[in-house]
Amino acid sequence: MGQVSIGIDCGSAACKGVLFLDGAVKAATVRPTGWNPKETAKAVLDELIVKAGAKREELSITATGYGRVGIDFAERKVTEITCHALGADFILPGVRTVVDIGGQDSKVISVKDGKVQSFQMNDKCAAGTGRFLEMSAHRMGVDMSGFAALLKEGKSCAISSMCAVFADSEIVSLLASGKSREEVAGGIVNSVAARTAALAARIEMESPILLTGGLSELVGLKKALEVQFQLPVITSELSRFAGAIGAARKGLS
Amino acid sequence: MVELKTQLPRIFDSFAQARQDGFLAMKKLKDSGTGVVGQFCTYTPQEIFMAAGLVTVGLCATSDETIPDAEKDLPSNLCPLIKSSYGFAITDKCPYMYFSDLVVGETTCDGKVKMYELLGKIKNVHILELPKRQNTPQAKALWREELVRLKERVEKDFHVTITDEMLQEAIRRRNMERKLLKELYELSTLTPPPLTGMRQLQVLFGAQFKFNWEEKIKEIGNAIAGIRQAYDAGERPVPASAPRILVTGCPIGGVTEKVVRVIEEAGGVVVVFENCTGAKQMDRQCREEGDPLTNIADHYLQIGCAVMTPDTNRFELLERLCEQFHIDGVVEMTLQACHPYAVEAHSVKLFMQERNIPYLQLETDYSTADIGQLSTRAGAFVEML
Ligand code: SF4
Ligand code: SF4
Repeated sequence: MGQVSIGIDCGSAACKGVLFLDGAVKAATVRPTGWNPKETAKAVLDELIVKAGAKREELSITATGYGRVGIDFAERKVTEITCHALGADFILPGVRTVVDIGGQDSKVISVKDGKVQSFQMNDKCAAGTGRFLEMSAHRMGVDMSGFAALLKEGKSCAISSMCAVFADSEIVSLLASGKSREEVAGGIVNSVAARTAALAARIEMESPILLTGGLSELVGLKKALEVQFQLPVITSELSRFAGAIGAARKGLS
Repeated sequence: MVELKTQLPRIFDSFAQARQDGFLAMKKLKDSGTGVVGQFCTYTPQEIFMAAGLVTVGLCATSDETIPDAEKDLPSNLCPLIKSSYGFAITDKCPYMYFSDLVVGETTCDGKVKMYELLGKIKNVHILELPKRQNTPQAKALWREELVRLKERVEKDFHVTITDEMLQEAIRRRNMERKLLKELYELSTLTPPPLTGMRQLQVLFGAQFKFNWEEKIKEIGNAIAGIRQAYDAGERPVPASAPRILVTGCPIGGVTEKVVRVIEEAGGVVVVFENCTGAKQMDRQCREEGDPLTNIADHYLQIGCAVMTPDTNRFELLERLCEQFHIDGVVEMTLQACHPYAVEAHSVKLFMQERNIPYLQLETDYSTADIGQLSTRAGAFVEML
């Protein structure tokens, strides 16, 4: 086997892992982080090893994400900011801005040649994160795929609350006042996009822009971000693995 | 000399624990009849108290222990330094506040000014009107007038007479202290620096809780000699590859050491502090010839702080330190709800951008709940340098 590197991105909601061989993603996996990030990361590692038929001894392991601290079997630990930039540059070579909307934080990173130029992060407040979307979907009685379906028609309504807790009760009263679930769902996604745009306004935003993280598959969110940024936003099926890919690349350098 | 080197850890510990150990020393001083003045800000002209034979102590609280008590009277979205200092005062939990016969404050930021009014109800408080400008004749004259008023207040409250000779001697002593502490932090112009930022901060912060001037001077001198000797003997506590960081912003020390810790755990090294405990205070010498009160007034008024407008002197110092210390990145710590520094942060960011120096602003408070968030930010910053 050539040079094998594993990247594990242990986020608050999901733990992602990729196995990198000769500059390509040979295996990828994801599972819910659960209550024990370390155990989950171990399971992700084992799965990758089996999938790729690799030997434990020939691996270089790099951990990132908020759960990285506990992953003691990793050779190195790197912050998710650095890894997202490096991973995004692999997915979309020449990428200049990375927008990552994760489970409990969101970040906008300005990138050049895979290197972080500057970044802005929101991790103090639930509004504007994946957790907020999940909570709202739950409030409307749908799961994330149901939520995605509600966004298809592109309807929306105004949501004024800046705080996740107040938005939650606003959703209830909007529904009670006769707004459709499609409209409310659209309103929620727009408010997340607006928050992200406010974050992005603090750095130099340049195209191409790659959306990463678990929510990158949510087409409605991508569209809402494009409206807010007034710039095209690109996603890829590898987007959710951006952090893990970056970690694996870090292990090679 | 060899002895010095082996003493070095002890010297560092002595500074690290100075605030704690100072409680007893202060009690002794009080018992022997020495008067104590508490201060909150670097603009407070310590020479006046020193001339009167009084002991000065910093009252800026650095832990969140009493914030819940303070929030009974104060709004919660207020700077933690103000809240916790007030909290320590009303709960009698800070021995230094308790021992202070006189508390001196300045009209710096609005939060502090209004807090002093409340503090005045339970302590003997004197407020100095600090101008917001540094270069107009009116500002200079007002500030000198304010120092005359302070001198008279001290003379009245402590039944002393302060002569020009006493002031001159105090200026000389404070200058010596400034010079030595500057010499100490300037050791970190070396690559790699001979001490971590954590150590440097402990000495700078601890020095203000050493109340015997002669001993303090000796200890700082020993620390400098010990660090030099260890370095010459080949000790390298910091790898040469560590990115060199300048820390600036709100006052730092106590619980906010966490900012230095996360930077250094990420592999960077803090080589200089442009904060109140650091270069802001030690950088310049006070003029010794001529009218002492005018010299003191001129010296203090020129301190660069975000409460001034325009705050030219802060930027002048920042620029000079960035060059002198070969800075790779600047980290600004702003305390939550500190408007002067949070707003000026934007100007600092642009200033650094123009000079191609990466800049990171970290907002924090007196809790330890945000360590994870701080270390991700500081980590990513150090990784990008
Ligand atoms: S930061 Fe400014 S206002 Fe605050 S203590 Fe220092 S000099 Fe005083
Ligand atoms: S840190 Fe800012 S808000 Fe707090 S006391 Fe100092 S100047 Fe005022």
